[in-house]
Amino acid sequence: MRLFPALALVLVAPALAQDPVDTGMQLTVKPVLCITDNRNPTCDLSFLVVWQSGETGYYCLYNDFSEAPIHCWSEDRAGRLHDDRIVRENFSYWMTSSDPGSRLAEFTVEVLRMDSDDRRRKRRTRHVWDIN
Amino acid sequence: MIRRIRQLLLMLLVCGASPCLADTAAEQGTESRWRLGAALGYGLRSNPLIQSDDIPIIVDFDVAWFGDHWFFDNGDLGLTLSDNALFTASIVARVNSDRVFFGNTDTRFVSFDLTGAPLSEAVAFSVPDRDYAVELGLEMLAGGSWGALQLSGFHDVSGTHDGYELYANYSYGWREQRLYVEPSIGVSYKSARLNNYYWGVTAEEGGIVVARYDATAGINWQARLLLGYQLSRNWGVSLVTEYERINDEAAASPIVDERNVLGFFAGLAYRF
Repeated sequence: MRLFPALALVLVAPALAQDPVDTGMQLTVKPVLCITDNRNPTCDLSFLVVWQSGETGYYCLYNDFSEAPIHCWSEDRAGRLHDDRIVRENFSYWMTSSDPGSRLAEFTVEVLRMDSDDRRRKRRTRHVWDIN
Repeated sequence: MIRRIRQLLLMLLVCGASPCLADTAAEQGTESRWRLGAALGYGLRSNPLIQSDDIPIIVDFDVAWFGDHWFFDNGDLGLTLSDNALFTASIVARVNSDRVFFGNTDTRFVSFDLTGAPLSEAVAFSVPDRDYAVELGLEMLAGGSWGALQLSGFHDVSGTHDGYELYANYSYGWREQRLYVEPSIGVSYKSARLNNYYWGVTAEEGGIVVARYDATAGINWQARLLLGYQLSRNWGVSLVTEYERINDEAAASPIVDERNVLGFFAGLAYRF
């Protein structure tokens, strides 16, 4: 008999743990990578942000560059937007519902710095092969 | 020679490892002192020696560690003496690269002598073996928007060939986001002792198949083109072609068949 409460708890727990604002939001951003080096320390890119939700509603898109939303959609379940940015470090886009403190989905654009200030990392070695 | 290599590795462990471990935590968010990677693909480097096979390249490992002063770069061990806005100067210990060709030679039975006359019976002939040499030298690196320049001078410290080599390499890289193109040219002067040890033929080695040969100093030329495409933070594709023209003195050696060394590699690279 003790099994029933335990079983009931196991079944109910996921529902209780579920985020109340989980709307099945999917967020994708392209390009996902910005590559910089000493000669080009920033990327001047046009990001395509695409989102899709399982529910129609009020949604806003934010990023790390501003506290205000980039754009909001009302009574929509999908949207897309082009965002032109000059990037020099990792940053994120995220979607919220009407509650700006609750992130429904988040996507981080990575900045990969290929050059180093350490010249020794660019030295050629004279071994059988050197492909670096 | 093995003892010298051990001594050098011990120096790295004693002087280099402690700062490395201590710096790990402090370096959160900054460039790692380690550079670790591996490339899997296919490549070849031609072998200029007679009776030799080309050198296949299937896997290329990149293992390097750069401390404030000490560094280890794929077998080279260095101590940086000066690092300023103009240049970086280091003392470097390395293993000579000419020896690599002598590890891929064959023994063949020869039926003709030096003059081309047939022998009464075939004789076995092998390319004479050569030892690795540990060399110590000074290396200068400079770089900027104009490209990267590497100058170095190395002298044998293992008593193998007692010669020296002077080397200069210039490279210039272009990047367009994921695509990277870097051509480079290099030139190296090899002293008579170095050249003669690797490419000469001693009286003991000479015989009815190859004649004795003394090589003097010479200059090698190199050109290289690297194409890289970054697939993600860790994965990339690398294509490399390389050409080296061996100096006249080495090319004229009876144990050398081809004066041009050609190489290529195409593979998928992972950087940790």
